[in-house]
Amino acid sequence: MVGPIASLSQLNRADGSASYKCPATGYSILGAVNAPIELPARRDALKPEEATVEVFVKPGTTTAGVGERYVEGILRSVLGKIVLGREKGFPRRGVVLTLAIVGGENVERGDSYLTILPALLHAGLLAMVSASVPLSMTFSATLLGVTKSGDIVRDPSPTAAKAAVSLHVFAVSSKNHLLLNESEGRFDFDTWELVRERALSICQGETAASADGDVSMGEGTASASLSGFIRETVEDQVYSDYAYNLDSI
Amino acid sequence: MSKEAQLSIAERDFILEALRENVRLDGRQPDDYRPLNISFGEEYGHVNLQLGKTNIIVRISAEVTKPREDRPFDGLFNINLELTAMGSPAWESGRTNDIEAYATNTLDRIIRHSNALDTESLCILKGVSCWSIRADVHVIDYDGNITDAACIAIMAGLQHFRRPDAVVRDGRVIVYGVEQRVPVALNITHKPLSVTFHTFNDSKHVIVDATLKEEQAAEGDLVIGINSAGDVCYLSKYAGAPADAMVIVKKTNVAWEKVKEINAAVEKVLQADLAKRAKIGMADESRAENDRLVQIE
Amino acid sequence: MSVPLVLLPSDEVPQDHLPTNNSNPLRLGPGLRILSQPSSKGSSHVLTATQAGLLTTDAKRNTVSLLSFPNRRYIPTVNDFVIAQIHHSSVDFFHCMVTPHTAHALLGQLSFEGASKKTRPMLKQGELVYARVQSVGVGAGAEVELTCVNPATGKADGGLGPLTGGMVFDVSTGMAARLIRASSSSAEHNDAIEGLVVLSELGKKLESLGGFEIAVGRNGKVWVDCSNAAESAVKVTVAVGRCLQETDQQNLHPHDQKKLVTKILRDMKLVS
Repeated sequence: MVGPIASLSQLNRADGSASYKCPATGYSILGAVNAPIELPARRDALKPEEATVEVFVKPGTTTAGVGERYVEGILRSVLGKIVLGREKGFPRRGVVLTLAIVGGENVERGDSYLTILPALLHAGLLAMVSASVPLSMTFSATLLGVTKSGDIVRDPSPTAAKAAVSLHVFAVSSKNHLLLNESEGRFDFDTWELVRERALSICQGETAASADGDVSMGEGTASASLSGFIRETVEDQVYSDYAYNLDSI
Repeated sequence: MSKEAQLSIAERDFILEALRENVRLDGRQPDDYRPLNISFGEEYGHVNLQLGKTNIIVRISAEVTKPREDRPFDGLFNINLELTAMGSPAWESGRTNDIEAYATNTLDRIIRHSNALDTESLCILKGVSCWSIRADVHVIDYDGNITDAACIAIMAGLQHFRRPDAVVRDGRVIVYGVEQRVPVALNITHKPLSVTFHTFNDSKHVIVDATLKEEQAAEGDLVIGINSAGDVCYLSKYAGAPADAMVIVKKTNVAWEKVKEINAAVEKVLQADLAKRAKIGMADESRAENDRLVQIE
Repeated sequence: MSVPLVLLPSDEVPQDHLPTNNSNPLRLGPGLRILSQPSSKGSSHVLTATQAGLLTTDAKRNTVSLLSFPNRRYIPTVNDFVIAQIHHSSVDFFHCMVTPHTAHALLGQLSFEGASKKTRPMLKQGELVYARVQSVGVGAGAEVELTCVNPATGKADGGLGPLTGGMVFDVSTGMAARLIRASSSSAEHNDAIEGLVVLSELGKKLESLGGFEIAVGRNGKVWVDCSNAAESAVKVTVAVGRCLQETDQQNLHPHDQKKLVTKILRDMKLVS
């Protein structure tokens, strides 16, 4: 399976930016963060002690609708939890995240928005990191579909996702905690447990599922895990930005 | 905050002073565009365009819809430009601002009203069904001159886009999947582009393709919409200080030269991309499955 | 020197990367925080990162800090030099913009060298000052205060005060910090660490034309003035600005910086 592609800090105007492409689902997301900035229009709604995280999702070929509002809510709550909004310069300011869906099919009205959620989460996280927004942790997220025959499929394509019996999105923090779970469709607790184990192994590269013959070898090693991928993406950017410093060492 | 931070006095004075010596901050001549870089994405009609540090993505899409009652023979074509905080922290996502309204209006007039895309060719069945073509403009990095950049990107996108083939059989519309029938190029009647000039020092100094700082220091602007044949389809001296009429005449010639250059550059990238696709297509075809029909109501 | 270490938020700083000099208390730079962790033997303290960046330590000053991405937004920090733009003035203060789209910083009307009610500078909207961050306040809603004098001496040390004429160029905050570090001691040695030769190269080549003066603000602004360069002042200023911006944007290596200087000076017809 072809892994995701990501890079950091490609935009000039935004304080931080990142792109994330998931070849399996076809989605390509561009994220930009401006922080900390004033939010004059929301002065009354701001919390006095911490930063306010705003998320805006812009679809590629339609106008934003209820589906976008729904994922924005999820993103806001996940990212809002990990942003350290009381650090210097951040209280009463805004952390504004904009995500544009620049590649892949549109999510049709009524279709599940879970298929695009992991890509949005990753692009959002990386853009936050690129803008040096203080965070308590990082995370990685994955989409799993359960087919009619009970197989668990990683990153199903939009067509495969439509045919799936249930869809699950998991986000696992860098401290190995479950940060987010959104599931839809019909599933029982045993299935959910299997899916959760699989998600943990994809995100963190644990060999927890070794008893389960389905898990492919590649996912078991740390470097092939999604958290390893996030780390490498960030490291690459730091190394290239500080090449002048590292060369002299 | 819907306004860009104001220019400092030092910056404004310096930009004006430098122009008196025909010097621009990035070393360009008055009639030079910034380096233009165009590439196409995987999907048809997906354009990435960089004009200096202004960065735009355009995506063209098509869907079957019902034509307007008063124009039963015409398909629909819309340009959608929505500025988000991604392009500039000065823009607030979900709120319209002046630049958005102004740029959308200019693009509509240059591309739609000059009928660059032949909307009659989008008709499938009179009064019943037609194609609706949509151009979505994403300004992801803003450093001035979004009108010209968006105009080039939309025109490149329209030329690159392929819509699924559709036929009418026994009064029913059949749309073929991209795998079943070779998708169809849009019918482009001509290729107009906008060329934006800004005036300084009582219109003594006129420059093309201003950066954001140059735009902020300018006293007025002039937008010329013109195609490769030299037909002017839009001319706007929208606001700001009055400009000498002769300047407009002279600059129209400059604009024509620029449009010819840019259209040639777009054509080159377009042909290279189509050639690349043809190569991949040949490889795909050898393992293509049998045709199947998909019917829609 | 140890292997370069990149940390991500929530990563712990390994003990062996901390400076071992124990005579001074350990000072934490931006991007790091101290957390206490309950464990079986009571609580222990760990240093963790809150941003992503390169871990750097200074054994002499016993500091440990994280170099994060250079394109980030500037957050005012006490004692930083910044280039601020006057937005408006009130009875006691000039309200200044340090970074766009953030709250204005306050600069006292009398915070200038030798200023009294009668001699204070009358600054207009859009004028620039080279100022120092005096305080950033504590708690929510705290205002940033700037000053144009050194409170210890009452003098405008380091070129503080209004900036007249010249031109400001925007660079990344990372580049601004590098420029300041590289110039803080003029030793060639420092240039080497920061990998910045662009300024000294420009200085050498432009000396005959009258040279130039610069002031660097940590908020990502560089003010350049070449009033000594007479008729070529405009071109020299543009050349300096372009060299700095291109070095920044393309993250050029020292030998490429030299090539860039030669290319741009020739391009601007300043040297043959």
